[in-house]
Amino acid sequence: MNSCKQLFDAAGIEEAISRIAGKIAADFAGDPRGVALVGIQQMGVPLAEKLCEALKSHGMDPEFGKLDITMYRDDFGTRDILPMINETNIGFAVDDKVIILVDDVLSSGRTIRAALDALTDFGRPGLIRLTVMVDRGEPEFPIRADYVGFNVSLPADRKVKVRFDETAEFGCGIFDVQWK
Amino acid sequence: MQWTRKDLLSIYDLSAEEITCILDTAEKFKEVSERRVKKVPALRGMTVVNFFVEPSTRTRVSFELAEQRLSADVVNMQAQASSLLKGETLLDTVKNIEALQVDLVVMRHSAPGAQNFIAKHLNCGVVNAGDGAHEHPTQALLDLFTIREKKGGFKGLNVTILGDILHSRVARSNIWGLLKLGANVTLAGPSTLVPREFEEIGCRVCHNLKDAVKDADVVNLLRIQHERQTVGFFPSTGEYSSWFGIKGATMDLMKKDVLIMHPGPINRDVELASEVADGSNSVILEQVTNGLAVRMAVLFLIAGVQK
Amino acid sequence: MKDMILKNARVIDPARGIDSVGDIAISNGVIVETSQVRDAEVIDLTGKIVSPGFIDVHVHLRQPGNTAAETVATGTMAAAAGGFTSIVAMPNTTPAADNAGAIELLKRTALEQGVVRVLACGNMTKGGKGEEMAGIGSLKAAGVVALSDDGKCIQDHALMRHVVEYAKSFDLPILDHCEEKTLAAGGVMHEGKWSVLLGINGISSASEELMVARNIILARQIDWKIHMQHISAAESVELLRRARKAGIKVTGEATPHHITLTDQCIKKFDTNYKMNPPLRSEADRLAVIEGLADGTLTAIATDHAPHTQTAKMVEFDHAPFGIIGLETAFPLCFTELVTKGVLTIPQLIEKFTTGPADILGMKDYSLAPGNAADIAVIDPEAKWTIDKNEFYSKARNTPFDGFEVQGRVIMTVVGGKVVFRR
Repeated sequence: MNSCKQLFDAAGIEEAISRIAGKIAADFAGDPRGVALVGIQQMGVPLAEKLCEALKSHGMDPEFGKLDITMYRDDFGTRDILPMINETNIGFAVDDKVIILVDDVLSSGRTIRAALDALTDFGRPGLIRLTVMVDRGEPEFPIRADYVGFNVSLPADRKVKVRFDETAEFGCGIFDVQWK
Repeated sequence: MQWTRKDLLSIYDLSAEEITCILDTAEKFKEVSERRVKKVPALRGMTVVNFFVEPSTRTRVSFELAEQRLSADVVNMQAQASSLLKGETLLDTVKNIEALQVDLVVMRHSAPGAQNFIAKHLNCGVVNAGDGAHEHPTQALLDLFTIREKKGGFKGLNVTILGDILHSRVARSNIWGLLKLGANVTLAGPSTLVPREFEEIGCRVCHNLKDAVKDADVVNLLRIQHERQTVGFFPSTGEYSSWFGIKGATMDLMKKDVLIMHPGPINRDVELASEVADGSNSVILEQVTNGLAVRMAVLFLIAGVQK
Repeated sequence: MKDMILKNARVIDPARGIDSVGDIAISNGVIVETSQVRDAEVIDLTGKIVSPGFIDVHVHLRQPGNTAAETVATGTMAAAAGGFTSIVAMPNTTPAADNAGAIELLKRTALEQGVVRVLACGNMTKGGKGEEMAGIGSLKAAGVVALSDDGKCIQDHALMRHVVEYAKSFDLPILDHCEEKTLAAGGVMHEGKWSVLLGINGISSASEELMVARNIILARQIDWKIHMQHISAAESVELLRRARKAGIKVTGEATPHHITLTDQCIKKFDTNYKMNPPLRSEADRLAVIEGLADGTLTAIATDHAPHTQTAKMVEFDHAPFGIIGLETAFPLCFTELVTKGVLTIPQLIEKFTTGPADILGMKDYSLAPGNAADIAVIDPEAKWTIDKNEFYSKARNTPFDGFEVQGRVIMTVVGGKVVFRR
């Protein structure tokens, strides 16, 4: 790592989560199909957990699931490093449900493409929406987020990291990281 | 840990970390087979040839399903169908397979080390599906997976492998894996089939059933092959059964939570009585289920390092 | 042929007990006193060793039958490069050398194409099948120096007894490959720790020991010479040791590979480690070395067994037994035995010269004036790396490629003619 600049702090994240939860509740509270939040491994999972909590204050009690998309990647075998597979746990029927996919950053859109494939292997959801903490605004696929914490525009060689844990390497927050 | 091997030839070659990496990966793949769509696109566009130069049904079916659930294109080649009988050498045959732009060859062969030999000459990945009495790594991995799932780990665990150790590739792969992961290994059976030489690598060798099983947390039974009797390793399957077969009464000698394992196919009422094979300590069918996840994991890891 | 003087060499001539710096003169193919040569080519060999030419009592030349692997021409050139001036050609060719015609063909081919002396060995039984006695009398008349069914072993003890008795009346020593079949059945490596760990079918040491014991019993009873080829097992050495102490006419040879390698080498399934008898345990290896050291084993023989690359590029189970050895024998033994202090240089040279000569009943195998000028010149200081691509043998089936060794044959003279010079 060459440089690491904090873009938003923990309070910013808290505020964004609460804002997104409000919008989701406005759209889906009381929806008869039922709502489920599915976090994409790895950083989508803690975000989905926090959103679940936040939705409870809006009187909602959504289902919660974890989705790993390693087996669905489109760059398998072309990378030098073999990705670790993380847990997938969809412990509810997805059929006809409103599924809110949750990830930390929307960058190329390829992860979301894979996640849509993975998710539909579990059944036929009624509706899928996408939530991200950061939207970098230049997807390579025709994929857009429905609920966005922050829009961040940065050169392609920069990474955006979202951390929800104070004990993480550079603490809680959203960071602009440059690798050299 | 980063997986770097292009081939899986033996457990002997692997480190404890590599074995654990496969088992961890297999845990993730186990869930795939429980989905409605039991398939992931990980190996989409890759071609796997199952080249079996020795008859096999269960291992081949398990590999084939694993490959299909990873979305690989699968071709099966049997020895009798291949050109081996026309006098072509094994190396020429596999070189021809490779020339068809195949990514992985899963191979079974009756000669020990046949896969080590061809892997040296092929660029594509080679997965050993059993080579003579040498090794059967994926069988051992699924056994280890099952043991870990049921017992939580290996350190200090007492595992007894019972039967024809001498002629068993399953035994050899299990022995290496268990020793590397810290289990205590007992090998048991008639002295003609359980060579003392295994003591030199740290196994306990035992020719008395009671001693072999009384402290065991796991008893892994091997198939007793009738043809061994005809060349004088033991007098009859009946005598084998009476001295070394696991029966209902044997269970009273063992720990209440002992795991009864068998790589199949079972000779019912020879090495294993039906009441035990079908009883509550038996995890034989779970082994089969786990075999699928383990083979998916192996193929996934091996495929990931192909260039 | 010009007269020649090999000057200032360390002359080691075991038969005459000579180990001193001096000159060897050659005229008309024969060793002569230095005063008897005229207008001689003088070769200064300061620091080098002059020895009687080596004898290998155990070589497979593969002609006729498998000239893709080796021929008389290439095999004898390899022999020359290894310092051997006489080699005994085993009769397991295709067809087998079990009749006078085959022996005459071999001798003629050797005269026309051979580089060193090829001594013929005939089969004990027809086709080497161990069923019916071969025409031993006519083999003798055709010029064989010994009898052997090498590669196989007569399992029928009564037949073996008759062969030994009959051979005695023709003054022909027996060279026997000691292997009891049922204890070796299906085996492709030594039965022991590594065969057990690798799941490879083993060849029990008992298979060799049984036949060594059988041969000792027959040699004692018949009072005739039986030489045990390629002794590999510790207990075989011990059996031989006791028998020789008791004055029984038995001898034994060691191969360079059985004193340098063990069964552990097979864990990579390289077929260049597959031979019969197999590489055995470390204890066996040390016992064979001990047998050489104490004189139980009087000869080193290569069991030079060429095979084509195609034949060896197969599964370990399916590969043919055997490795080549003529060009690597001396340096390997020098490195293993002399540099490690097991044998002195003169003792090692005995194993390559007078030892095998005695087995064949050759009289006065020495550098004495009047004897044929069969000579090996050795550089004892040369340190080099074995490179199979430099071999004169047609075959490349050696496990020793890349080995760092000491001691090298730099010149070989057969009947006064320099047939090899490095």
